[in-house]
Amino acid sequence: MATRSARVGDDPHEPEEATEVVRIPDSGNAPTVTRPTETKGAPSRAPATASLLSEASPAAAPVHAFRPSRVGLAARITVAILIAVGVLLLPIPLDNVWRSRMALAVIFAVIGLSVNVITGHAGQISLGHQAFVGIGAFMSAYVVARFNFGAGFLAAGLTGAFLALILGLVALRIRGLYLALITLAFGLMAENTIFGIRGFTGGGAGAAAPRPALFQSDLAYVYLCLAVLAGSLLVDWRLLRTKAGRAIVALRNDERVAATLGINVTAFKLLAFVVGGFMAGMAGSLFAHWNQLVQAEDFQLLPGGRPLIWVLMAVVGGLGSRAGVVIGSAFFALFDFVVADIAGGSTWHLPLVGDVLVIILSPLFGAFLLLLTLTLYPGGIGQQLMPIRRWLAGGRFLEHKHRRGREKKEKRV
Amino acid sequence: MRQFLVIGLFTGAIYGLLAVGIVLVYKGAHVFNFAQGEFGTVAAYVVWFFHSNGNAPYGLAVAVGLVAAVALGLIVERLVVRPLFHASRITLLVATVGVALFIVGTMFVVGKPEVRVLAPAIGGKPLIIFDTAIQPQQILALVILGAFALALWAFFSRTNLGLAVLATSQDPLATRIVGISLPAMSRFIWGFAALLGGIAGIVAGPISGLTPGFMTTIWLVPAFAGAVLGGMTSLPGAFIGGVLVGVAQNLGIYFLGQRLALPGPSELTVFALLLLVLLIRPQGLLGKEA
Repeated sequence: MATRSARVGDDPHEPEEATEVVRIPDSGNAPTVTRPTETKGAPSRAPATASLLSEASPAAAPVHAFRPSRVGLAARITVAILIAVGVLLLPIPLDNVWRSRMALAVIFAVIGLSVNVITGHAGQISLGHQAFVGIGAFMSAYVVARFNFGAGFLAAGLTGAFLALILGLVALRIRGLYLALITLAFGLMAENTIFGIRGFTGGGAGAAAPRPALFQSDLAYVYLCLAVLAGSLLVDWRLLRTKAGRAIVALRNDERVAATLGINVTAFKLLAFVVGGFMAGMAGSLFAHWNQLVQAEDFQLLPGGRPLIWVLMAVVGGLGSRAGVVIGSAFFALFDFVVADIAGGSTWHLPLVGDVLVIILSPLFGAFLLLLTLTLYPGGIGQQLMPIRRWLAGGRFLEHKHRRGREKKEKRV
Repeated sequence: MRQFLVIGLFTGAIYGLLAVGIVLVYKGAHVFNFAQGEFGTVAAYVVWFFHSNGNAPYGLAVAVGLVAAVALGLIVERLVVRPLFHASRITLLVATVGVALFIVGTMFVVGKPEVRVLAPAIGGKPLIIFDTAIQPQQILALVILGAFALALWAFFSRTNLGLAVLATSQDPLATRIVGISLPAMSRFIWGFAALLGGIAGIVAGPISGLTPGFMTTIWLVPAFAGAVLGGMTSLPGAFIGGVLVGVAQNLGIYFLGQRLALPGPSELTVFALLLLVLLIRPQGLLGKEA
């Protein structure tokens, strides 16, 4: 998890003080230090879409004052538009089954982005993410039954943000390994205690979460989810381009240095938690109405391993890389469905092994990918996408140079 | 009420057993090992396979189970821990979560999601202590825990190997300079931790029943709470902390669950206890930064 300091200088609006803030904490990753030449490399970026894909990760090699030719620029814009239009039009040719699957993939992507804000940007490990998503889901169902969808959606986001704020307050005191432990215990507590409150969640039977009339059809629902995803991407992108985002990244790299630079560590850490929690709550609401029924078992650790999948999909996708996180999340959302299709049911008869529950395969495969990512490809999918991302942003299509052991050796607690 | 206290004491013994392994890894590698429980699950399943399913004598099955656990520990060390030797400890922690999830998934595939019954090490009638029936196996757990806490304490403070392990975690460079092999130490720590985890699993299996991942889902988080309460670096602390968490958890089940009818009282108690300890006394009861 290196920094994206190399990119900070790109923004024509806020060039100078930005580089200052982020550069210093970045001592472990010397080669990525911002250079003035870089500011020249970027202005020709294709606006909206490319920017959403952009900002990926860490080891962005400095772009040496390279400007694409007119043809190259046209090609970049065309590809960016094709990607955007392709995603937007994709639901139309799909049948309802796949539209619904796509909606789930988009919801997972929002969850992945919420993990990205808290763990990727702010560097605060959270293994209890199912608590935010689950509370959002149940809150949405609870409010929808009494008011309307809009209120439920908003309430879900606010509840997620509030819960994350509380956890953020805890994270001010409890750090590192201990934070991982306490968030895991928090998730288990939420799973058993909060999701077990009958009046709120309907106990084991679950709570009904009807869709509003406008988004009743699967097609309309996909677009609702896509709109929320677009909003989340926008927030993630803009967040990093503002003072707040750079402060968050700085405090991730080194809290003490950040504090010496006059960054209000407390406030910005809490801000990251609140933003991530809000996203998770919104995703929870979408998740509830996607299935139109929320049950506590949707958020259980075993056998589906969903709570951990939500964290590991962001790591496999590549923390810090929006495109990577979205792709990783979508992959894990669709994995169960595709395997079930291949297996022809909820169990798969394999030679030698016998019948295997399909839902167990995604945590198994996910854990494998997680270990592979951590030990061999620390940048995840996002890092593999770097050449494309860099090209779209107006650079050359360079092979990604892979470096092992990039992570700085942290002072052991 | 008294019954809950007694049950808590004996449940806590299992937490303590796991906590001792957790503390060992923390002392040696400065990481929270979330895969500790799964070493136990694997050992317990192997014992079940040879002893309860097959007809191997108990002692032999236990030996095979422990060998399997140690082998697993060494594999994890080689494939996951070693490549992440210079990574941040958080990264390694997430990797141990991945290892746990991977093993749980494998257990589901190989072991099937059924409850298995593992025969206890010592049978016989339950003893009645304060109107509570206690299985001999639970008493065995407490005895083993006490013996281990003492033996490991002696190991770390009285033997060269134990001191070498501590040295590795405190200053890897200096340790290498005085001629201690870091990879060998790392292998030793993880193999030994897996052995302890295996013993915990084999002792706990007959008490809770075998389901895939049972050591992680049922025992791991309270065991961590015990290790933290004891001070994370202290082996006698892990012993005391594990037992205290067991007692506190059962008091929670009694007061919150039975009196107030809250759902999930045991998770709630463990979470509250962990939070309180970390906020008020983060170094735990007997902990000191090693």
